[in-house]
Amino acid sequence: MTQTPPPATAEAVEERQDDGSLDIARRRANEAQRAERKLGLLLVAPAVTIMLAVAAYPIIYAFWLSLNKADLRRPDANEFIGFANYVTVLSSPIWWRAFGVTMFITIVSAFLELVFGMLLAIVMHRTIVGRGLVRTSALVPYGIVTVVAAFSWRFAWTADLGWLAPEGSAPLTEFWPSMWIIILAEVWKTIPFMALLLMAGLALVPEDLLKAASMDGANAWKRFWLITVPLIKPAILVALLFRTLDAFRVFDSIFILTSGANGTSSVSMVAYSNLIRGLNLGIGSTMSVLIFITTGIIAFIFIKAFGAAAPGADPGGRK
Amino acid sequence: MQTETTQRKLMWWGVNVLVLLYAFIPVIWILSLSLKDATTLNDGRYLPVSPTGDSYAAIFSNADFLRALFNSIGICLIATLIAIVFGTMAAYAIARLTFPGKASIVAVSLLISMFPQIALVTPLFKILVTIGLFDTWLGLIIPYVTFALPLAIYTLSAFFREIPWDLEKAAKMDGATPYQAFRQVITPLAMPGIFTTAILVFISCWNDFLFALSLTSTSAARTVPAAMSYFTGATTFEKPTGPIAAAAVVITIPIVIFVLLFQRRIVAGLTSGAVKG
Amino acid sequence: MRIPGRTGASRRPRRWASLVGAAALMTSLAACSSGPEGIVINLYGGASQTGFDQIIAQCNEQAAGRYTIVGNLLPSDADGQRDQLVRRLAAQDAGMDILGMDVTWTAEFAEAGWIRELNPQQVAAANQDILQPPIDTAVWKGRQYGIPKHTNVQLLWYRKDLVPTPPKTFDEMMQMAQQLKDQGKPYEIGFTAAQYEGYVVNINNLVKGYGGRIVNDDSTAPAVDDKTMQALTLLHKLATSGLTSPSLSNAQEPEVFADLQNGRSAFSLNWPYVLASMKEANPALVPDLGYAPFPSVKPGEPPTTTLGGMNFAISSYSRHPDEAFDAVMCMRSPEHQLQHAINAGEPPTNRTVYDQPEMKDAYPMSEVMLTELQSAVTRPISPVYQNISTVLSTTLSPPAAIDPQTSTDELRSSIQDAIEGKGILP
Repeated sequence: MTQTPPPATAEAVEERQDDGSLDIARRRANEAQRAERKLGLLLVAPAVTIMLAVAAYPIIYAFWLSLNKADLRRPDANEFIGFANYVTVLSSPIWWRAFGVTMFITIVSAFLELVFGMLLAIVMHRTIVGRGLVRTSALVPYGIVTVVAAFSWRFAWTADLGWLAPEGSAPLTEFWPSMWIIILAEVWKTIPFMALLLMAGLALVPEDLLKAASMDGANAWKRFWLITVPLIKPAILVALLFRTLDAFRVFDSIFILTSGANGTSSVSMVAYSNLIRGLNLGIGSTMSVLIFITTGIIAFIFIKAFGAAAPGADPGGRK
Repeated sequence: MQTETTQRKLMWWGVNVLVLLYAFIPVIWILSLSLKDATTLNDGRYLPVSPTGDSYAAIFSNADFLRALFNSIGICLIATLIAIVFGTMAAYAIARLTFPGKASIVAVSLLISMFPQIALVTPLFKILVTIGLFDTWLGLIIPYVTFALPLAIYTLSAFFREIPWDLEKAAKMDGATPYQAFRQVITPLAMPGIFTTAILVFISCWNDFLFALSLTSTSAARTVPAAMSYFTGATTFEKPTGPIAAAAVVITIPIVIFVLLFQRRIVAGLTSGAVKG
Repeated sequence: MRIPGRTGASRRPRRWASLVGAAALMTSLAACSSGPEGIVINLYGGASQTGFDQIIAQCNEQAAGRYTIVGNLLPSDADGQRDQLVRRLAAQDAGMDILGMDVTWTAEFAEAGWIRELNPQQVAAANQDILQPPIDTAVWKGRQYGIPKHTNVQLLWYRKDLVPTPPKTFDEMMQMAQQLKDQGKPYEIGFTAAQYEGYVVNINNLVKGYGGRIVNDDSTAPAVDDKTMQALTLLHKLATSGLTSPSLSNAQEPEVFADLQNGRSAFSLNWPYVLASMKEANPALVPDLGYAPFPSVKPGEPPTTTLGGMNFAISSYSRHPDEAFDAVMCMRSPEHQLQHAINAGEPPTNRTVYDQPEMKDAYPMSEVMLTELQSAVTRPISPVYQNISTVLSTTLSPPAAIDPQTSTDELRSSIQDAIEGKGILP
């Protein structure tokens, strides 16, 4: 989409045209540029400072631990072992099984959340009756504490105890039914997250454009794909990106629903097992780093796929 | 024309009902668990046969829970406010200005939000103990702001980029002062993004369990999700299902109020006639 | 919890009484935060159990200012408790004096140097009149670290109206269940087999029943052998007999209890709390609810049941270990153990408390419990118990998928890895 140049540059360009004197204009442009840089750095400073101050040390420390044989019970017995932990984890079938399960859950739930989230966003944005009611109610699932929501699903799907369990069967004791229930729990809870972000994007789509297109004979389907989607691409990216990264770290739902039984363990659960139960800081940190790298790759793919719609990318209008 | 509107209204009500069913069927199940008594808890019925308020009485007579509710509200409001202010500043800069290191800031903030938090808890615990913030409000607010900032920055910069900033210039040309232009043209356009982000940040803070559990040790700063995990059943082997469900219902109410207040702000959007350049 | 046998109106509101107990605890905490005089003894673990705040208050009164015990809350699940304690102990936190520890943590905490070894006088005092099996859980490499607080042991709960004489062995129980099933009556055998600690308890019951062990005495090598294989054969037979709940492999205590409450189970292997809870959950079933010793794996042998329960230990970083020890001795004095058994359903470790009339009133099955406690067995005692437990529950889950031979081999090698700290935990 077209982007307007930043104000400072725009003014500089204007003045050059008004003034006619190239020299002064160049100096002013430089000054404006410097002022803009200064303002930019000033504005990001608080956020960057707090993020680095809090997160930098723990993250670097986790990287360091991943290169060590380290046990919380024996803090003085740390031993540098290079990439041995990575070899251990990456050669373990347990890890790859969990990785596959996590990938599946991530892809399926992110896809379902996007589709249903978009539908919900459109309803929330467009409905002509009971807007406040729909918008507020639709966000309630996201507000329910994950652990409790998962526990209520577990209860509902346990034969005899819950209203969802079919008579005489126990879906949470089999792999595929468990997986779908895990996905259901995740999707139910996070559709509102997607919907809210997408709706805020929809609010920025100019009514006139849609009306004009409508008069030109474009039907709703065409209007959606040709006008709405390109305009809300940045919102889609952010929603999809953060949901995918979160989904890949799924933990609470599985922990409560199946405790990882029948091969439903996710990578975060395996990391928990090693880090918190086994107190094995080395292996646990290695898994955390691997999860981090995987989510990094996912993020990279998304950002590349969305190109100029990604935050911080050079705005298209500058071309 | 009249009938067409009525039809459309009916159609939308139909759609709305679907949304309500989606949102409330599982929630009513949780509500129902909170109202069941010991004899009917395990009966497998969707609705309670003989509803009782015992679970609610239990949590509201629990001083620790009430204190946790107070902590949750205070900590999350402050954390949201700080994250939104810092996030808005940073997002404006990222969306609108050119300055060195912009790309790396965007990348680094994403990296921070990607690291599994479970691996960060122990070092964070050590830091907080060292600087004396363990088990304080600030000790939770700081990590919450940190891990909410990436989402805030991304969301806000995505919205700020979509705002047709030249409208501001147009308003100035029409004789508005810079303040008026900003206040009357830009602010309404930016509000949907800001309030959306505020809701998301607030909810993510409200539902956090890991930090609340690991970075507190008394009721001084413990928030509700952590306090809920301290509920005990009558014996070690029984789960306090009723009180946990009741607490989940109770702590959803502030979120509903928060969203009710803010959802109107999201309505705004573009006023008609405003077309981007 | 409800006092077993207590009647009528007071029952229901007491259902979540522990929460209110926690409330009272926090109120006393708030009072303390204004600064109790003298030495403060911080207790972590067990403090939020029903009525424990009263015990703390009584002990503080007895101490007459020498020290003040402050009960601090920990999460209600064992993993969450251990996580909190470990994190703070690893940081050498002096803010914790007394630790309420699950019986399986002793070796780990002792090996890490987090808890103090008791001196000979303390050992003598701590073990006086205490049942031997709970003491075994407090010892690591011949040194005693823990002071047994309460214990626990599972019983066979059964339906007297369906089963006139309770079965003595697992085989007998399965035959009886099969007969009931053939007659179209409730027949299920309930036990915990979800992938969690409660399943390990059942695995341990069977392995020890055949005289097997999971690790050797000093926990240097796995001791998985053909006796383990026999146990797994029985477990597999039970899980595939069609005599268990369809939810077996996801069943924890609440599900096992619910199956008994809802009339699906004829047999239920569960802890003593069942009686008191059933009086609330389904009073109509109580007259038909029988209890008997846990079934044995071999005819004519006493049952081998796994010990639950909790020990107190004193943190190595405590600045007041002597006062902490005295505080512990007060909190688990015979009178307080009796009080705790009645209020919170935690069976005493003191032998003589079982002879008290109040104990017999509250626990009609106390004779059976005492018999079982005297021959009860511990779970593997090892500094890496958590790892061994994780390996056991995941390797053998779901129970219906066990192949006795291959599962035994798999266990042997993965427990070996767990002991050596090789590989990763599932």
